[in-house]
Amino acid sequence: MLPSNHSLSGVLQQKGINRRRFLKFCSLMTATLALPPRYIAQVAAALEKARKPVLVWLQFQDCAGNSESILRSSHPTVLEVVLDLFSWEYHELVMAGAGHQAEAALERVVREEKGKFIAVVEGAVPLADDGVYCTVGGRTALEIARHVCPNAAATIAAGACAWDGGLVRAHPNPTGAVGISEAVPQATVINLGGCPQNPVNTAAVLVHYLTFGELPAVDQYSRPLFAYGRIIHDQCERRAHYDAGRYVQEWGDEGHRKGWCLYKMGCKGPQATFNCPSVRWNDGTSWPVKAGHGCLGCASHRFWDTRSPFYDRLPTVPGFGADVTAGEIGLGLTAVVAGATVVHGIASAVRDRMRPMPPAVPPPANNEPPRKG
Amino acid sequence: MAELRKYGWGEAHRPEPAFPTVRVYVWELPVRVSHWFIFLLVIVLSFTGYYMHNPFIVAQSGTTFLMATIRFLHEVAGFVFIAAFLLRLYWFFMGNSWANWRAFMPVHRRQWRGMGRMVAYYSFLRKDLVHQVGHNALAGVTYLLMFTFMLIEIITGLTLYTQVRGKWALGWLFNWVPGVFDIQHIRLTHFCVMFAFFAFVIHHVYSAVLVSWEERNGLIESIFTGYKFVPKAELEEDAVLSKAD
Repeated sequence: MLPSNHSLSGVLQQKGINRRRFLKFCSLMTATLALPPRYIAQVAAALEKARKPVLVWLQFQDCAGNSESILRSSHPTVLEVVLDLFSWEYHELVMAGAGHQAEAALERVVREEKGKFIAVVEGAVPLADDGVYCTVGGRTALEIARHVCPNAAATIAAGACAWDGGLVRAHPNPTGAVGISEAVPQATVINLGGCPQNPVNTAAVLVHYLTFGELPAVDQYSRPLFAYGRIIHDQCERRAHYDAGRYVQEWGDEGHRKGWCLYKMGCKGPQATFNCPSVRWNDGTSWPVKAGHGCLGCASHRFWDTRSPFYDRLPTVPGFGADVTAGEIGLGLTAVVAGATVVHGIASAVRDRMRPMPPAVPPPANNEPPRKG
Repeated sequence: MAELRKYGWGEAHRPEPAFPTVRVYVWELPVRVSHWFIFLLVIVLSFTGYYMHNPFIVAQSGTTFLMATIRFLHEVAGFVFIAAFLLRLYWFFMGNSWANWRAFMPVHRRQWRGMGRMVAYYSFLRKDLVHQVGHNALAGVTYLLMFTFMLIEIITGLTLYTQVRGKWALGWLFNWVPGVFDIQHIRLTHFCVMFAFFAFVIHHVYSAVLVSWEERNGLIESIFTGYKFVPKAELEEDAVLSKAD
């Protein structure tokens, strides 16, 4: 590993990444951060001067999907530039070291780089039964997180599990899993939701930190606004079909083959915010809706519980079976009321016939004297 | 059956009341205007809203703009609905005693007793209903419930609207809601309450016809004209009672 006082430009030259590719990466980052083009030069200048801050990547209750996502950038720029921007001292999935050596590296970072390094967390932290459901090197995830995250300059929660517990926390949550900001409230956390998170957004957050010395603006869930500020539906390439009223009715039908809107198939694009349609995946190749499947809202808060059933528009009504929709319940209620009204009407008509002649003088409106209060 | 034959099925067994009736201006213009606007808008909002939930018409040509048009109608109708609701809210405080908010709140023992009598009437435990110049206590509580449902629809609707076009004051007012209740449950609530309106409309039209038939005071016509025909003694008693409130 290169000494941490090497500047980025020298490292990139050594790796054979020429200036043109570097500037292309800078413009991608500037665009992703929704900054005006004049910031490209500022981003490039800041990155060239950057002194390789240290980064540790912690993995708790996870599937390594967020690590895979960032490693699967087939186009070399994102991976190489992000890898070379930082000195990655600890990342279980990719590091060469193992055992006590690796844990010692993490300890060294926390001790020597205190308040300067960046921690990336992947996976949820279990709290039930003293956190025994996830241990690394004999320490629970909660112990490690409490040890590392408050000492970091910033903690990036990568993916749904690290943000809000994700799949691990989905009902009934047997391990008592929570996201990192809930497990370690004193840490400075920025949440990158998504299952997995998009590596371009991770890179953009790191680039923003290097350029401006602070984390980007966030929403109420501490998610960066540049990535989570807009509804997917409003950026979707199938939106014209939605507005026109052309919908896929079942998988593989004519509308599906023609690329119509997936609204009726339960697409959660209208209720999810993410920059998925513009940044896309696998170096801008595609994203779920483009590939013909509805959005699950994977970047939404606790999406396994709140966005399911994934193939229906609305959640199921509590107290009813999983395959009874709100519409069926509502129409059923309306039918019951209509039926009861017809029966009551017939009964009232019969009562009216059975009644003796009305009296010639009116009965008092209320059979009691007026009283106060 | 002997009873039935004696009275027959026509109106003959229910002669015009022999006692004098007075023509009373019960429902003032803002009450009637807000009533009919809400009626019209519930129909428009239900149709367009149901289409937005389940687009049952799938356009085949490339020149339609079906969902966008229906969504636009729903949003415009929603804001007109809010205007009608606010008009009625204003009239809770400015209107006559029958439109006043006190007529809806069961705060007096007399109102609770009246409610019990109406329940007994509807469930065939009582032969005659309690005559009222305005609406009876049970109807008042039902309307109060419906006003609450309308308020829920307005709040959830504006919350959903701010998700799409949440800017400035509206965004500031409603952006916090999805942080407390998940947006999918806001949608579910907004959708389910619509069926409460369906059920209410059926019951409301039916009971209005029934009570109008029983009281023979021009109740159905009164929501068009504003006037009811009330026995003089009843009106006097109502005046005493509302003064007592």
